[in-house]
Amino acid sequence: MTEVVLHVNGHPNRVAVDDTTLLLDALRRRVGVTSAREGCGVGACGACTVLAGGRSVSACLVRATRYDGVELTTADGLAEDDPVVSAFVECDAMQCGYCIPGFVLMSTELLRENPDPTDEEIIEHLAGNICRCATYPDILRAVRLAARRHPG
Amino acid sequence: MTDTVVPTPLPEARPAEPRHGVGDRRTRFDALGRVRGTLRYTGDEGAVPGTAFAGVHRSTAPHARILSIDTTAASGMDGVVGVVTGADLAAVLGDRMVTGPAFADQPCLAVDKVRFVGEAVAVVLATDLATARAAADEIAVEYAELPPVYDIDDALRGEAFVHDELRPSSVFADLAHLRGVRDTNVCYEYRQVLGDTAAEHAAATTTVSATTWTPPTQHVSIELPSTTAWVDSGRLEMLTTTQTPSYVRQTVATMLDLPLSRVRITTRPLGGSFGTKMYDRLEPLAAALAWTTGRRVRIDATREEAFLLTTRHGAQVIGTISADSGGELVAVSSDVRYDTGAFADVGPRITAKSGLVAPGPYRIRSVDVRSRCLYTNKVSAGPFRGFGVPQVTFSHETLIDELARALGEDPYRFRRRHLLREGDVATVGTRMHSADFVSCLDGVTAAIGWDEETPPGDGRWVHGKGVAVGFKAVLTPTVANATLNLNQDGSATLLISTVDMGQGSDTIMAQIAGEVLSLDSRRIHVVRADTDATPYDTITAGSRSTYHTGNAVRLVAEAMRDKLIGFAAELWDVPAGVLVLDADGVAHADDDRRISLPELVHARFGAAGATVTTAENFTSRWVPYDHDTGRTEKATEHWFAGAAAVRIAVDTWTGRIRTPHLAVAGDVGRAINPTLVEQQLTGAALMGLGHALFDELVHDHGQLTNATLLDYQLPSFADVPERLTPIIVESAHRDGPFGAKGVGETGILPIAPAYSAAVRDACGVRITTLPLTPERVVEHLEDRS
Repeated sequence: MTEVVLHVNGHPNRVAVDDTTLLLDALRRRVGVTSAREGCGVGACGACTVLAGGRSVSACLVRATRYDGVELTTADGLAEDDPVVSAFVECDAMQCGYCIPGFVLMSTELLRENPDPTDEEIIEHLAGNICRCATYPDILRAVRLAARRHPG
Repeated sequence: MTDTVVPTPLPEARPAEPRHGVGDRRTRFDALGRVRGTLRYTGDEGAVPGTAFAGVHRSTAPHARILSIDTTAASGMDGVVGVVTGADLAAVLGDRMVTGPAFADQPCLAVDKVRFVGEAVAVVLATDLATARAAADEIAVEYAELPPVYDIDDALRGEAFVHDELRPSSVFADLAHLRGVRDTNVCYEYRQVLGDTAAEHAAATTTVSATTWTPPTQHVSIELPSTTAWVDSGRLEMLTTTQTPSYVRQTVATMLDLPLSRVRITTRPLGGSFGTKMYDRLEPLAAALAWTTGRRVRIDATREEAFLLTTRHGAQVIGTISADSGGELVAVSSDVRYDTGAFADVGPRITAKSGLVAPGPYRIRSVDVRSRCLYTNKVSAGPFRGFGVPQVTFSHETLIDELARALGEDPYRFRRRHLLREGDVATVGTRMHSADFVSCLDGVTAAIGWDEETPPGDGRWVHGKGVAVGFKAVLTPTVANATLNLNQDGSATLLISTVDMGQGSDTIMAQIAGEVLSLDSRRIHVVRADTDATPYDTITAGSRSTYHTGNAVRLVAEAMRDKLIGFAAELWDVPAGVLVLDADGVAHADDDRRISLPELVHARFGAAGATVTTAENFTSRWVPYDHDTGRTEKATEHWFAGAAAVRIAVDTWTGRIRTPHLAVAGDVGRAINPTLVEQQLTGAALMGLGHALFDELVHDHGQLTNATLLDYQLPSFADVPERLTPIIVESAHRDGPFGAKGVGETGILPIAPAYSAAVRDACGVRITTLPLTPERVVEHLEDRS
């Protein structure tokens, strides 16, 4: 066991992990994060997405030890009036909601890099995330709305 | 953007005027929690200390006798607290460990024999999940292989049998006559006979035949199944991912020989389901393990394991349709074969409910349907959005499309001419009401510009259009109950056992209750299914909840309204008939007396926070099928009617299909919440798009070869049509709550046949095997040239 500090949404969490502990398991079982979820275990669905230093990471694929001291953001760390969060709520961009936090973080990453994306750029950036309820049309509207409001 | 088609009002329909929520595009009450990921699903509940995690050892043989199970290595591993085999459970529970909704054919761990690759054979319980899974791999099983039944042809050949004899469960009483039947893989057969098809086919002037194949697929709800079971004071309690808490309670009570009062099934919102989290999944095993070991047992399925729990039925349909010289439909014959895998699950129900609509929603003079449910040595197939109907829809829509072409008629107008109208009698013998196929068909064809010119193409890309309808009966008979607590402050708590899995049932049930009580639906909390508190409800499935549970909710709210008016009548000593309930409380119609709900309830009980309770039931009834003809005057409480039209472009070099425009319509009676209705229509259409173009489970000698999300393709953002138009048709149902019916499955039914018709239109080839992969399209183009 190694002790690492996972900085999640601005708060340091000192947790014991072993060399093979996945970041997703450390976040869910040690820190208590619920917004990152296992959907496939192979990095193919995006339900486990977190931001590490602002860049999206599939937390089901990476070791927790590599993120010692790295600033991590999970969807529950975004404010209720965050432009992406509020746009998703206003556009009803959810059905079961299980995958939605992953889409929210991917959209956050996109808008930070590209504040005024075209539809093609939105689709390309979100194409690695699966919404099995297929709420894609509402998600697209939400990202467009967030882009219009985004401070960047 | 939605186009709403308002059909001609029906004389029977009496839609109420909504004022307080019904018809509103109301956001889900828990939207913020869903977006930020703070809403807690089943797997988010942390494991308490002492929890035993389960690792499941699974069969590597499709059909074999178990000779021995060596658990020595697994038992000796650090952290392992026990290893349990089927024989261990059978020693305590006997035959009761074998469960299933139609047949008692599903052992929660294999006993003596395995019936598919991936069947659960033994379980390791350990102090952590990783150890449990690692130890499960250390179990060694010795098998003596039996002849396998890999597919429909093997099953019908009747040389090897998946089960020695049929054992109907006690759940479906109409299967009792099959008890003890031996030497067959056919576990159920439904026949529908109307008129003399042989004579009609012989006398017809035009006949078209097609053998269609729809492959097995998987639901892949992104939330993985998770079940935790424990024993508390002699009661078995459980938190599980299920759409069927009332069914699971009954199954567990029967298995453990406990009164229902000593079994508690609790749920949380589901992260999608589509039929995968129903009936007997992880629950019987978790209950058996917790009960026999006394431990708190948690089973978390991996994605690979979720593929082994259930699938959609692969189905072959051999169909023929005939028309006379006037173009009238004189005969449809349909031989339907569902591959139900190793366990029947609800395959028999699927076989009957799909068989009854197999001829399609048309005026047809004679029909002969034979629909069979077949055991094979594969993963069990069960319910999946559409309940077997997409498979027969692909057949009847392929046939009618090809018949229209053979007669030189436009496929849209030919269907329109023959579709069932209000008051017509379907081939199954049941009268049509609130099933406006014509408005659905008109809506989708208008949306995609059916009569506009199809682009000419450039030599490589060719263009085409296709249309299809979908036709399904709601599950009948079923039972729904609702209990309503009005709180003294004028808010309310609604207790139902409907499970919200993304469809937004919590939101619309509150809208229905709010409408009756003139109460803002946001002040009504819907309690999650908990069999200790929420009353019996058959299942959350088959698009039945809006109508059935919605009616129970309407009734319980009406009872509450009457009760509150009664309180005021007693208080003022006036007849109840002169009082009305409105948004401000109870008012006297003829003078200025009025009292708010908080004042009224406080006046009644003298206690802040007091509650007033009402409870109501809604049960739908049917008339069983005639023994010889399979026909009945009431096959179903109501019908679903839908349609899809699509414009596609096909790359003739690669076989790839692009979708410039897909329109999907459903008759929902009345949209309680149009936003949620549109999400069901488009969500089902996109799931159907996957089934049309690429979604498929691949087997090799009984073994699934693509059961991971690296290999199994699902619709992503990149697959969404360039335009996608949902169309709500509202032909009010005379008995629906505010005229409403369900919508969860309507949109998936017509998608695959609309695509295959569009490929036919674009390329001149009729592909009758799904999915329409690029390879398959190119093969057909090469065969043509």
